[in-house]
Amino acid sequence: MTYDPMSPSQHALARGVFGGLALFAIWELAARLFDLPSYILPAVSEIIARFWTARAVLGEAAAYTLGEALAGYLLGGAIGVALALAVTLVPQLRKVIVPAATAVNSVPVVAFSPLILLWFGMGVSSKIVMVAVAVSFTMFVSALAGFDRVDERSVNLMRSFGASRAAILWKLRLPTALPLILSGMRLSTVRSLIVAIVTEMLGAYGGLGWVIYQAVIVIDFVQVWAAIFVASIASLGFFAVVSFLERRLVFWR
Amino acid sequence: MNMPMTYPSTMEPAMTPADEPILDLRKLSKTFGEVQALDGVDLTVQPGEFVTVVGPSGCGKSTLFNIVSGLEEPDNGSVLRFEGQSVHAKHLLGRVSFMPQRDLLLAWRNVIDNAILPLEIEGANKAEARAEAQRMLPEFGLAGFADKYPHELSGGMRQRVALMRTFMFKRDLLLLDEPFGALDALTRTMMQRWLLEVWQKHKRTVLFITHDVDEAIFLGDKVLVMTARPGAIKLARTVDLPRPRSADLVTSPEFISLKRELLDAIEEESMKTFGPASH
Ligand SMILES: Nc1ncnc2c1ncn2[C@@H]1O[C@H](COP(=O)(O)OP(=O)(O)OP(=O)(O)O)[C@@H](O)[C@H]1O
Ligand SMILES: [Mg+2]
Repeated sequence: MTYDPMSPSQHALARGVFGGLALFAIWELAARLFDLPSYILPAVSEIIARFWTARAVLGEAAAYTLGEALAGYLLGGAIGVALALAVTLVPQLRKVIVPAATAVNSVPVVAFSPLILLWFGMGVSSKIVMVAVAVSFTMFVSALAGFDRVDERSVNLMRSFGASRAAILWKLRLPTALPLILSGMRLSTVRSLIVAIVTEMLGAYGGLGWVIYQAVIVIDFVQVWAAIFVASIASLGFFAVVSFLERRLVFWR
Repeated sequence: MNMPMTYPSTMEPAMTPADEPILDLRKLSKTFGEVQALDGVDLTVQPGEFVTVVGPSGCGKSTLFNIVSGLEEPDNGSVLRFEGQSVHAKHLLGRVSFMPQRDLLLAWRNVIDNAILPLEIEGANKAEARAEAQRMLPEFGLAGFADKYPHELSGGMRQRVALMRTFMFKRDLLLLDEPFGALDALTRTMMQRWLLEVWQKHKRTVLFITHDVDEAIFLGDKVLVMTARPGAIKLARTVDLPRPRSADLVTSPEFISLKRELLDAIEEESMKTFGPASH
């Protein structure tokens, strides 16, 4: 076997970076070759230049949006896991909570946004609530699947050692469910940012969605693209951090 | 819930005389809905005794263990006495060392931390428990494997970790449900001899389920044969073979004649399960 200094995930990263660069090169070439107007497709170089000139606005907007997304993400994660736990510990609740959660989730969350904006206002709370609603369902489903994987025979083994319900929860149920809880958390990262941005576009005092909305009004499409780039960088970063934590915490698979 | 048994009361002697059985079951029955798993099991186990149980598949052996470990209540009318006192099954939770049919090791715990699980649940000091487990590793053939995780171990090793976990839970009565069932013949023989050494050293009482008659005789002071479901004790034979037992014992005439008798009894019962229906 030849020595390979890169792990499979590093290979994937290298391919991703290469693909991104190739896409940018084609994009730049097309925009210049066909001399496209910037409201159709601005050149990448133009967008990157805007990063610099608008760095203060974009940075502040990104921090604003990330803050909302993170708060909603944590809140929704906690709600989803707590509900799944309730259903696991009190099986009678399953028949009530699962259909209710499915009914809420059968409508795209964005459909709730006018109501949520009405109830929680244009500030950050409405964004946090929207993200929490979106994330909590995913987390509920993932965590419930995780808790359902607990082997009843292992529960019995712990009971035979005299374990309390709390000890069984802490030493068996939570660790068993952890891999699926964390993969749900990983999948929810991107979703939480999308929902925060979309809600901002419908009414907000700041954030990337708000920047995009304002830029469209003044027909500044380079600004729109710059905000979109920042959003995808934030999204990738968030995803990478959670993936890293997941690999660290679920070391046994 | 309201079973006609005497609840452990202060009237009864707290001390167990030497000749008193550690476990005494009378007319023990268990029904799951339509299925009667056990029907009137009578058995006694003396302190320090090694009792093996053989019986056809599905006759209720694991059910018997689930009751004695406290996980299931027997039907009304069953008598369950432990250390001289009549008890509800649930009062046995935390009082006997139970090793289920599967190793059930926790994937996120290494060998040491799997072994100390029962001590952790008891609230023992973790560092002390780990140090104790570390000292026990060589005896269980796990020296150098302290930091390994279950997915890094062979089937035989996982079983030894599960056994070590059972031994670390220091209770007088050990219930071992087919601990060597999944092992190959060679590993199995090694493990049997090793178990006898460990048992003699730790002086525990063992109730041991197996499908293998050789194993039942080789290990046991007493062999119990169960009937087909609903399970009861069909036959009890004392094994009068000297200890420590060596591998060539299995070719001795006493061994062979006892094996013949036990096999006949088991076959008769297996026929009831698998043979032609003759009601
Ligand atoms: N919790 C339960 N609910 C319903 N039926 C059960 C339950 N536990 C066991 N049984 C039934 O009781 C009977 C005895 O099962 P048990 O597991 O005790 O058999 P066993 O002798 O251990 O079998 P094996 O040798 O295959 O391990 C079976 O018919 C089984 O289906
Ligand atoms: Mg069984």
